[in-house]
Amino acid sequence: MKLEFSHIQKSFGAKHVLDDICFSAESGDAFGLLGRNGAGKTTSIRILMDVFPADGGEILVDGRPIDRSRIRFGYLPEERGLYPKKKIFPQLVYFCELFGVEHSDATASVDKWLRRLSMYEYRDKRLDTLSKGNQQKIQLITALAHDPDVIILDEPFSGLDPVNARLLKDVVKEQIERGKIVLFSSHQMSYIEEFCDSIAILASGKIGITGRLHDIKRSYPRDTLIVSSPDAAAIANEYGVEAGEDGIVEVRMNGDKRAVIKSLAERYDIDEVRVKEPTLSDIFVEYAK
Amino acid sequence: MKQFLKILRFELGGYFTNKVFVGVTVALVVVIVGVMFFPVVSDAVGEFFTSEPTQEPGDGDVSGNDGAQVMLVSGDGADTVAAAFAEVFDGYRVDVADEDDARERVTNGEAECAFVLESPLSYTYLVRDLGLYDFNSDIADSTLVSLYQANVMASHGMDEASIGEVMSAAVTHETEALGVDQSQNYFYTYIMIMALYMVIMIYGQMVASNVASEKSSRAMELLITSASPTSMMFGKVIASCTAGLFQLVVVFGTAIVSYTVTRSHWDNPIVESIFGMPPALFGYMILFFLLGFLLFAFMYGVVGSMASKLEDLNTLVMPVTLIFVAAFIVVMISLSSGNVDTMLMRVCSFVPLTSPMSMFTRIAMSEVPVYEIIISVSLLAASVVGVGFAAAKIYRLGVLLYGTPPKFSAIVKALKK
Repeated sequence: MKLEFSHIQKSFGAKHVLDDICFSAESGDAFGLLGRNGAGKTTSIRILMDVFPADGGEILVDGRPIDRSRIRFGYLPEERGLYPKKKIFPQLVYFCELFGVEHSDATASVDKWLRRLSMYEYRDKRLDTLSKGNQQKIQLITALAHDPDVIILDEPFSGLDPVNARLLKDVVKEQIERGKIVLFSSHQMSYIEEFCDSIAILASGKIGITGRLHDIKRSYPRDTLIVSSPDAAAIANEYGVEAGEDGIVEVRMNGDKRAVIKSLAERYDIDEVRVKEPTLSDIFVEYAK
Repeated sequence: MKQFLKILRFELGGYFTNKVFVGVTVALVVVIVGVMFFPVVSDAVGEFFTSEPTQEPGDGDVSGNDGAQVMLVSGDGADTVAAAFAEVFDGYRVDVADEDDARERVTNGEAECAFVLESPLSYTYLVRDLGLYDFNSDIADSTLVSLYQANVMASHGMDEASIGEVMSAAVTHETEALGVDQSQNYFYTYIMIMALYMVIMIYGQMVASNVASEKSSRAMELLITSASPTSMMFGKVIASCTAGLFQLVVVFGTAIVSYTVTRSHWDNPIVESIFGMPPALFGYMILFFLLGFLLFAFMYGVVGSMASKLEDLNTLVMPVTLIFVAAFIVVMISLSSGNVDTMLMRVCSFVPLTSPMSMFTRIAMSEVPVYEIIISVSLLAASVVGVGFAAAKIYRLGVLLYGTPPKFSAIVKALKK
């Protein structure tokens, strides 16, 4: 399945919130939707989920306009919140049923997920008696229990301790392996870099850059080597740059990469050498502005 | 539709597992049963006490024979008057005494009251504490007049039989209300209007706070992506309508059942007139409750969706509440003035916001042509549907906005889409 945003436009009053948004995500892929606060991520997600219609453009599934009756969405909103005064199990079942799941299937699925996320003991507790991290896990169940085709996770890792973050990672990987489309929206670049094959960076309602992360990184000039060596100071001296504290030096290549590496390796004791690629953070800072 | 039913069931579950809702309903039922069975209990208790042996006659106690209170008569012709009073004052032992003695005995509580006669047609009524419901002087007045008239007739030579005939002459009359008897309808109309007012107000505001709390707890973020605003709005409103109707039926049902059981113990014309309510009127009450409630609940739902925090809600519900209170006041004033067919009431009974209460009052208190009822109900029903769908649209707009409530122009724009 291929989910595609095609020239989506949206304004609220005089304010142009989304301008010609195009990107696509495929099954079995995690997609990172990035952007600074107010860049239009949540609006894009809401248009995708039909909370409000787009002013122009359309959302396509496998090239055809989306038929929402056939595609289920799972959503973990950035603003977390369920019914704080209600018991956990009934409200999870309720939300699952709202997505069209039969009651018996919903109860079975909710129980399965409560066990999977080690939350079964809280089944009959009121939501507001739980810690923030545990509430987050309960919220995650609302995004997964109805077995959605497209899972949208807005800042999924915020508020989780390392153990729970690991648990969530496993769950997300599992969903990706099962061929779901997982749409991430986060400011924690390390997680996006770890999971996402493709990204789109939004900047003030426009697409800054989109594509496969690997290709984007490759599109940057590959003219600098990162060299790790005990002789870092000498190398730095030769190339007229400053050495990093931990024996790392960045060497700008003038000419053939292989020749430069060969020359370095012949003259210095080299531990590691690689071509410098931009990190996602670098790309984000450049495009999100 | 399926989604609507799920929401309805969930919201209803919320009401019926709510301790406050259950508690209030149970408390109301207990209070009503208590009030309705009061005469039974008081009769039983009364029997229990009156079956106790009373004091022996001639004890010389203040209360006199058979627990009767003492009434004293002094002055001119005290003997004749005392004899006449003894016949008309039930529960009193009437004695003759001189004025000073009478004053003293009334003051120290030995006697309940005293009549000091100055002439056949004037007296001073002595009583220690004058009660609100002391009608003794009224009874004494008419007795003295009769005595005087009888004396005058006797002095003109009429024999006793003729005098008795003249004095016992009585007028019989009957009243036949050709329309509605307002004195009969007043009390139950009053009670039903109060019930309509309270239930719509309480449950309407519940809808508002329900929506506002979903918004402030951010459960809304998930709800709007999983359910259609129309299902949500209708689900919520109809759930609270059902809860309100349930409470109304339970409360009125308890009262009616209790009255049926305790009917023979009630000896109060007001209570009898309340329960003498025609069943059709109860039907009208349910009809106007349903329509009126839905109309206002949709408006309250919209208002709830505009609030970012629960604290904002109080100011936001004000306009809706004011409209409702105004309608209530118009109805109440007309009801107590006795004329429910004024121009204002006629107009109000067709305007959807005010018609639930005013049309109901007119039906209860006067004769309303059937076509007027049909027009009023159709207008109301149509506006319920219209407002319902409009409410769902505004709701979709409102729930996504945090911070300042949307401007009126933005709402109109949302409605056009």
